[in-house]
Amino acid sequence: MVDGLSLNIAQILFNSLLTGSLYVLAAIGLTLTYGILKFPNVAHAEFITFGAYIAYTVADIWKLGFEAGVLAAFVATGLLGVASHIFLFGPLIRKGASILHLTVASVGYGIVLRYAMQEIWGRKDLYYSAYYPGFDLGPIRVTPLWLSFIFLAVAIVAVFHLLLTKTKIGKAMRATSNNPSLAQASGIDTRKIILLVWFLGSALAGLGGVMKASDTRITPVLGWDILIMSFAAVIFGGVGSIYGTIFAGYTLGFVENLGVIGLVALKLSTEYRFLLGFLVLVFALIFAPQGIAGITFKSIRRRLSSSG
Amino acid sequence: MVNIVNFILDMFVYVGIFGILSLSLNLEYGFTGLWNFGKVAFYMIGAYTSGILTTLGYPVYVGFAAGVVVSGLAGLMISLPALRLREDYLGILTLVFGEIIRIILKNEYWLGGPLGIRGIPSITPSGLDYTTALIIQLIAITIIAAICYFIANRIIHSPYGRVIRGIREDELATATLGKNTFRYKASIFSISSAMAGVAGAFMGQYVTSIAPDQFMPFISFTVWMMVMLGGFANIEGAFLGALIYISFERGARIAKDYLLLPIDPNNLMFILTGLLILIFVFFRPQGLLKENRVREHKGV
Repeated sequence: MVDGLSLNIAQILFNSLLTGSLYVLAAIGLTLTYGILKFPNVAHAEFITFGAYIAYTVADIWKLGFEAGVLAAFVATGLLGVASHIFLFGPLIRKGASILHLTVASVGYGIVLRYAMQEIWGRKDLYYSAYYPGFDLGPIRVTPLWLSFIFLAVAIVAVFHLLLTKTKIGKAMRATSNNPSLAQASGIDTRKIILLVWFLGSALAGLGGVMKASDTRITPVLGWDILIMSFAAVIFGGVGSIYGTIFAGYTLGFVENLGVIGLVALKLSTEYRFLLGFLVLVFALIFAPQGIAGITFKSIRRRLSSSG
Repeated sequence: MVNIVNFILDMFVYVGIFGILSLSLNLEYGFTGLWNFGKVAFYMIGAYTSGILTTLGYPVYVGFAAGVVVSGLAGLMISLPALRLREDYLGILTLVFGEIIRIILKNEYWLGGPLGIRGIPSITPSGLDYTTALIIQLIAITIIAAICYFIANRIIHSPYGRVIRGIREDELATATLGKNTFRYKASIFSISSAMAGVAGAFMGQYVTSIAPDQFMPFISFTVWMMVMLGGFANIEGAFLGALIYISFERGARIAKDYLLLPIDPNNLMFILTGLLILIFVFFRPQGLLKENRVREHKGV
């Protein structure tokens, strides 16, 4: 498949947009909880998987249609995130658990979730029955599903932008993400904001899961395949920064798709495309650990003047 | 039904292998405060290095030595850029490192590809009955584990051990006392990785075939659970944690032969494991054994 597309720039850009949208959806929740609560939530992978399964149940077992499945995935995964905070992470934080303990707890919680899902939905690969035949849009091969997911992701980014800049609650979210104690001192009910962040972040992860699954298949390890790339987007974009993550997510999507072509040209396995994302993560960690959000004009100038 | 003696011998061999891994993680996290979520990488490097060399016909001790050295060097190499990072970033970077190694091994056919390496020569002479072979393996892993225990014991009761604890408590303060904290962190990371390498080398010859999918990130998390169960900064605890975790896992495996459960026993086992971790995080975050007090210097 790749050979035929190898020089189709438009297709590469389109595919990058698609992959990037997936990473953005998967990573926004991760960056928000990581930024506010300071620990990397490994169970986020399972939230992604959960969304995919919920959509399957609603769309293919209850036969309510794929759109209803997507909506159900959004709401149910969001609620799962809220419940996780209320019953697990919140109490742990109140007990004064360290960042390491929170991380380990998220690992344990992720295992519980993953195998509970495997118990409920089985280990076999599942597929959505909704099928949308592809068609050519100029030089690009698309399917209505891909188009609607890109549209959805871009719309969500736009809504997030409006929410964050134009509304009071968005400002409170940004404040909490920047400095939780200062936000609290300024009269923001950070508890409510944190729950909202869990809801929105997890709900988007659920959508990401449906998106990934609709293109491939649903397995209990679906989320894991995306998690490390999501971490790459989060760290490359700067932990806690929504705009950074959006930029990083699309950049990673582009790097990955462009990389596939390079790999084919070099006669290497296309599975190495994951390595490209990992390399971005490694370079981001080593050279810009604050992420692109941390790179300001001032810091570039300082670095230039100190090296020169 | 499997032979119960063999079952128990096999279990203790794994307690030895994972005890070494959990000991090495305890040196890194428990004593030095370094997050390593990619323990499996060094385990994998040890297993592959030794596996490849011994299948090529080199003697087992060459394979083991190479496994230790290559893992140790890999640990040193990754630590050079990684140790300057914040603790949680170090955790993520090591996690990713493990996945990178796994993907490379899976896609490079001269390194075995997805099927891995088969027919790794075992340390036991062929023609022995299974129980005797298991006993020899158990003796071998006990000796290796004892050596690792001895090394770890010497490390933590030396001035070096006090410095790494100092780094854990307050890196800046330790640096202010004139200690090159980076060098200490890099060396402990390298020693621990070498230990994980020997565990991997042993595991490779024990199961005689290794494949990339045996080295999922879950292994690293399992080792974290063992360290957490046994207790942070306690080298006996490392082995205790491995014993508890593996007994728990094996117990569940036996139980499924006797119990008629409405739930898949494999899933149940993992769910219970996850819950066990959550219970520990909530009620006994420091693990079962506490850190021993630093022994006074008596010229050990």
